[in-house]
Amino acid sequence: MNSRAILAATLVAATVAAQAGRPCEERPATPSEITRGMALAEATARRLDATGAQVVVLARAGQDLSRYGLRWSHLGFAYRDGDGAGAHWRVVHKLNQCGTANAALYRQGLGQFFLDRPHRYEAAFVELSADAQARLLPLLRDNTAAARWHEPRYNMLAYPWAQRYQQSNQWALETLAGAMDADARTRGQAQAWLQLRGYEPTTLHIGALTRLGANATRANIAFDDHPNHKRFADRIETVTVDSVFQWLARSGLAERPPAFVSL
Amino acid sequence: MSLNRKLSSWVLVTALAASPAARAHSEVSDASALSLLPVAVSVAAPVVVLAGGAMLSLVAVQASATGTVWVLERASDAARMSVQFAGHASAALGTAVVVTAVSTGWVLSAAGAAIAFIPNEIGRALLHDERITR
Repeated sequence: MNSRAILAATLVAATVAAQAGRPCEERPATPSEITRGMALAEATARRLDATGAQVVVLARAGQDLSRYGLRWSHLGFAYRDGDGAGAHWRVVHKLNQCGTANAALYRQGLGQFFLDRPHRYEAAFVELSADAQARLLPLLRDNTAAARWHEPRYNMLAYPWAQRYQQSNQWALETLAGAMDADARTRGQAQAWLQLRGYEPTTLHIGALTRLGANATRANIAFDDHPNHKRFADRIETVTVDSVFQWLARSGLAERPPAFVSL
Repeated sequence: MSLNRKLSSWVLVTALAASPAARAHSEVSDASALSLLPVAVSVAAPVVVLAGGAMLSLVAVQASATGTVWVLERASDAARMSVQFAGHASAALGTAVVVTAVSTGWVLSAAGAAIAFIPNEIGRALLHDERITR
């Protein structure tokens, strides 16, 4: 494979992202991007208000992952903060820092959540069961509790059943597990709970040369946390929004099927 | 109507809670476009100046301990408005600024690029930026 082919393969691997992980981009936003992002935020807030829910799993389409059969790229928890007319929605989610090997947790407004130049100006959300909402809500309001299941070492394609790295959707999934399982104290225990309840990650088929290229050129992609027998069979498992939505429905943790918002 | 009289009919906007953090993580790959964009914490203006399609000119940029103030002047009648930002907000004097009114506030743009956002009450409720972990 020549260098151009390796570069192309690397770019493919980069778009496999379980969440947006683009390098920092200083290009100024266009008025249209601001207008559309804020409009989607406003429309989503109205839809969330109408549900009566306190906590939902909220997803955006930051990248086009359709070649992998995936519709959404990134998720976080949206929760209702405050009471009465002054209440507003906040999103707690994990963001990779500028394509580096690190990530941090943020609490943002719906505006910030949808202003990341998404691939599509659409949102999806899943209302969680009343029990799951009640367990998650205090955790999302408390910075220390929200960070309990956070691992700053970031890998866009982190293996779901290892603890060396953690990608954004994986943080949310493990945090949900940790909230549901009162006995869970570690990421490993949260993952065990997820396995016991039948969570199944998405399997991406990524060949050796593509892995090599991505490994060499992207600080936020690694494969050394994947078991050899899967890695060398080109089977890369990771946590995706689509797989989380499917599992929420199967596991009974979703109050109802996903709802969608578009402009 | 004198300039002072016009400025007396202020649109006063309360502070955006997390605006100091809004520019703090432009290094985040997944950061929103808005975090790169100055977001107004308050604006003092005759209502007519903050209308969609208004053509303004940036006549002053004042840095202070609490942030940056832009003074914008409408070309047609020299009516002025000032916009306060919590952090650094740079733009060249004389920049021609177009106002676009949207349901969540006003987008200020120059040469096709958004240079600032002034949220209204709906927009403020949608904006918050806080880093939880280091």
